[in-house]
Amino acid sequence: MTDLFPPFLIFIAGALLLPLVPNGHPRALVAVIVPVISAYFIWMMPEGMHGQFTLVGQELTLLRVDKLSTIFGLVFSLAAFLALIYAWHVRDTIQQTMALLYAGAAIGAVFAGDLVSLFIFWEGTAIASVFLIWARRTEGAYWTGMRYLIVQVGSGVILLAGMVLQYNETGSMAFEAMTLGGPATWAIFIAFGVKCAFPLLHNWMPDAYPAATVTGTVILSAFTTKLAVYALARGFAGTEILIYIGATMAIFPVFYAVIENDLRRVLTYSLNQQLGFMVVGIGVGTELALNGTVAHAFASILYQALLFMSIGAVLFRTGTARASELGGLYKTMPLTMIFCLIGAASISSFPLFSGFVSKSLILSGSVHEGHYIVWGVLLFASAGAFIHSGIKVPFFAFFAQDSGMRPKEAPWNMLLAMGITAFLCIAIGVYPDPIYALLPYEVVYVPYTTTHVVTQLQLLFFSALAFTVLMRAGIYPTELKSVNLDFDWTYRKLGPALIKGVRSLISSVWGALIGAGLRGVNFGIAALERAHGADGLLARAWPTGSMVLWIAVLLGATLLLNYM
Amino acid sequence: MSPELAITLTILLPAAATLLLAVLDKRPNLREAVSLLTAGALFVIVLGLLQTVLDGAQPTAHWFDVLPGLSLAFEIEPLGMLFGVVAAGLWIVTALYSIGYMRGNNETNQTRFYICFAIAISAAMGIAFAANMFTLFIFYEVLTLSTYPLVAHKETDVARKGARTYLGILITTSIGFQLVAIVWTWVVAGTLDFEQGGILADKIDPTLLPFLLALYAFGIGKAALMPFHRWLPAAMVAPTPVSALLHAVAVVKAGVFTMLKVGVYIFGIDLLATTGAADWLMWVAAFSILAASIVAMTKDNLKARLAYSTISQLSYITLGMALATSLGVMGGAMHIAMHAMGKITLFMCAGAIYVATHKTEISDMDGLGRLMPFTYGAFFIGALSIIGLPPLGGAWSKWYLMLGAADAGQIIMMGVFMVSSLLNIAYLLPVVARGFFMGNTGPLAYSVGAAAVPSKGIQEAPLWCVVPPCLTAIGCLLLFFYAGDIYTLIEPVAFPEGTSQP
Amino acid sequence: MSSEMKTPETDPSKLPWLGRKLLWLDNTRNVGHIIYALLILCAGLVAADFMYHKHSYLDIEDIPGFYAAFGFLMCAALIVCARVLRVILKRDEDYYSPKDIASEAYPEEQLSRETIND
Repeated sequence: MTDLFPPFLIFIAGALLLPLVPNGHPRALVAVIVPVISAYFIWMMPEGMHGQFTLVGQELTLLRVDKLSTIFGLVFSLAAFLALIYAWHVRDTIQQTMALLYAGAAIGAVFAGDLVSLFIFWEGTAIASVFLIWARRTEGAYWTGMRYLIVQVGSGVILLAGMVLQYNETGSMAFEAMTLGGPATWAIFIAFGVKCAFPLLHNWMPDAYPAATVTGTVILSAFTTKLAVYALARGFAGTEILIYIGATMAIFPVFYAVIENDLRRVLTYSLNQQLGFMVVGIGVGTELALNGTVAHAFASILYQALLFMSIGAVLFRTGTARASELGGLYKTMPLTMIFCLIGAASISSFPLFSGFVSKSLILSGSVHEGHYIVWGVLLFASAGAFIHSGIKVPFFAFFAQDSGMRPKEAPWNMLLAMGITAFLCIAIGVYPDPIYALLPYEVVYVPYTTTHVVTQLQLLFFSALAFTVLMRAGIYPTELKSVNLDFDWTYRKLGPALIKGVRSLISSVWGALIGAGLRGVNFGIAALERAHGADGLLARAWPTGSMVLWIAVLLGATLLLNYM
Repeated sequence: MSPELAITLTILLPAAATLLLAVLDKRPNLREAVSLLTAGALFVIVLGLLQTVLDGAQPTAHWFDVLPGLSLAFEIEPLGMLFGVVAAGLWIVTALYSIGYMRGNNETNQTRFYICFAIAISAAMGIAFAANMFTLFIFYEVLTLSTYPLVAHKETDVARKGARTYLGILITTSIGFQLVAIVWTWVVAGTLDFEQGGILADKIDPTLLPFLLALYAFGIGKAALMPFHRWLPAAMVAPTPVSALLHAVAVVKAGVFTMLKVGVYIFGIDLLATTGAADWLMWVAAFSILAASIVAMTKDNLKARLAYSTISQLSYITLGMALATSLGVMGGAMHIAMHAMGKITLFMCAGAIYVATHKTEISDMDGLGRLMPFTYGAFFIGALSIIGLPPLGGAWSKWYLMLGAADAGQIIMMGVFMVSSLLNIAYLLPVVARGFFMGNTGPLAYSVGAAAVPSKGIQEAPLWCVVPPCLTAIGCLLLFFYAGDIYTLIEPVAFPEGTSQP
Repeated sequence: MSSEMKTPETDPSKLPWLGRKLLWLDNTRNVGHIIYALLILCAGLVAADFMYHKHSYLDIEDIPGFYAAFGFLMCAALIVCARVLRVILKRDEDYYSPKDIASEAYPEEQLSRETIND
């Protein structure tokens, strides 16, 4: 069927094997080995199109190996490896297998050489990942998971619609660079955009990621969105509208991140923001900018995972990730605190940390093409990222007011996973050349110049100064137990309320009409009865029957919206 | 064996088996053996016929003439072959399942159950292989009548009431509309034979075509097109094997199969496409798809929810025909097989849950997935196939249906299929999610972050209630990879010579 | 900053080694030192702008201390805006409940709440 062994099959084989291995260290070991094997296979694969075969009349290409897919395949394997070490203690068979299937589907998708195989893996990531949310086993997680799944599969069916239109127009299912034009390409574009959390299509992410299990969030943070970044880079590089979408993405979540109380949701907003940088890079579309996007995806998978891991460890030990309930943990969880700070420094692009050598490629890429306003927006977004993820997250978790909690340091497996990830964040920052070598285009960029280092430090330290001043002055918003309305309010509250209103309106109007109709019918029947003694049963039963049907339909529509 | 004999056997073999079943009333093991053997033998014969059809032949059998030009006759074309294989193949699985279910539930009147079941299969074969609308109609009515005792099986007031609704709607629509349509067709066309390209072209005023089609569409009550769908939820009082094979496969598929036959061989796709006679039907089917899905969400009773899901999915096939494109017919035909495999899985799982716990309401089923992981795993796979997700068979039928909609230029119909997929998630997957993750089934053996393994361990239904749904779940998976064979089988119908192929 | 509230008594010997070393952060005076250090660093970074040749693409970048001013003002603006936004957007934690996790406790059986006193 294929000349090379597709790496996703390793994950599927691992997932099938896993339930047969004794639960405990042996099973955790098997799970951790799977991504290592996969990385080896990906490393050894020669460039080109492989794994071609025909399925139900469609020519599928399972393996399109080039520099772009290879680096995503490698970083996905790496992320799976780290997350599975972090999840070593988990004994839940469903979470173990679904984590492997999810990573496998994501890796399958980046190597997919045609739209049909992309679609198969695209839906695969949706189905496998929702279990990491449901595995929390609470009522709220169940509903959140349903909302998440409907949005994710929704992205898949939009992709399917785009494919169908594309096929109908051109007869080709190739997945190559596209130009936005007809409904087909727009549908594909929006399908990618949903998974990439474009503004107003983003709500599934802050809704669902903090609802997953401690380990589930770490796994979720790596794959789905970066898969979408890959798909956009492959399909829509240089599409101008992406620059503006990305710039909006880079600032819009910042405000939410500053006022959000749940630290895992703060990190989700910051993840959304980092995606904005990547999307701008894709929109600019030059070799420099695309390199920046890929490098930033690589770096961001690692530091974002590190941040989620450290807050996850806090949650694991204290039972909460709310900023309003945490504080002062540095004394008892100093290693976790240090790893968190390394992640924070990386996302803030401190010199010597990974974000510094990746984000600047995108900023330079946009300024080289004359997008000065976008450059300014991204600069603001960088400073904002430092405020909420660089300062706020570690400060309220580990410093600030002492919460009185004295949790033990995170367990060994979490420390190990965080340690390796932190090491990689620094290693990339100090010595970026190996990562640069993996990028799709040749890199002629030197991140460490005096100008760059000094200006970046100025930006960061003065941002820190602003935070300190406003904190001391009592202007910085205090952390409160609350939720903040986001765009999902429209479908979680407004939509159902509208449906309810319309329903009661219709049913009262309908009731009045039926009442009038019934009176008329009764009158007629009475007249008939006087003459023939007929029974009015059928006439009465009909309107009530259909009214019941209509109310059922409306009731159902409300129910659907209640899922949201 | 000559093909003619084989066709006759497919109909007479299950019918003849009823005599043996009746004789073996007091010897349940032998009785079930006969039932299984008949199912196996029937499947072998049908597979033999399938080979003949794949070789390009269209075997025929002629029983007798009723009037000159009106005969009880059979001719196997690809659509009928597909329906025949699906019904015969799934009968074996259901025969196994019936043993587990009927014994596990200590049902009464088991012999009557098996006899009526065999007659129903015989009638389904008659429908599948009918050479003309007259023959099809005869077996259509036999199927209705033979399933009546099955629906009323429990002999309670509720069962009798459900069965009355069942019989009432199916008989009324078939006599009131379908028979009228058949007579009308006979009068204008002078024949009722199924012919590629239809028999009505140039025979009837095109403005009358939508009305004739309406008589057929609503007359084929088994296709459960709204508003004549109420019989299907009413039939859910039947024992689950009946719901599984008859009301997810044989009876309802007989309905949509007849719909396809009428569209392809009575009207002809070209005639429908050029006159637009089926445009209204498209909208009615689209309404049925969405409305039935929404109603399904309001149902807490699992079988009722599945019944409304079936109503919705049947209209996929009607819609596929109404699109009047080759790809729509291909999608509709494929959906007969894909939906059958998926839905029978879901029903058998519902039955297994009932046998093991006597629970019927979804809200009572929280946490059962941990006690019954195999049943729930099979349910999950079946549900994904119904939703239309890869790598399961349902993905391909949805693909071709959507291609058909795109080909017909009906973007809104594509939207209907898309929304329907999401609605399917909203009513099917809560069962799985709540089953695996919610509720408390006794103290859980947790260690740190451990698997929520109930301390009581796995408590599945009897073996023969669990194995069949697992088999069909695997079938859903296999259909994804072998959907190409269905394509090859249906190709001559959907793309008759001269039409372009993608 | 953390010492303004009375912290619960903790036996330093139960802290991990690194935690003990970091205890000096509990002292308000030391926090003050950190802030002074930050101020000095900031001043130094602006001064550095006069001491090297800046490679810039935009004229605006050549203004000494541009990045410093940009960082400070933007962050101050961000925080003030966010504070105002919160007045509009804030709702109780159980606003979406029971269909949301915000007001739920994390399931206890999936945690390992060990403390240093265990």
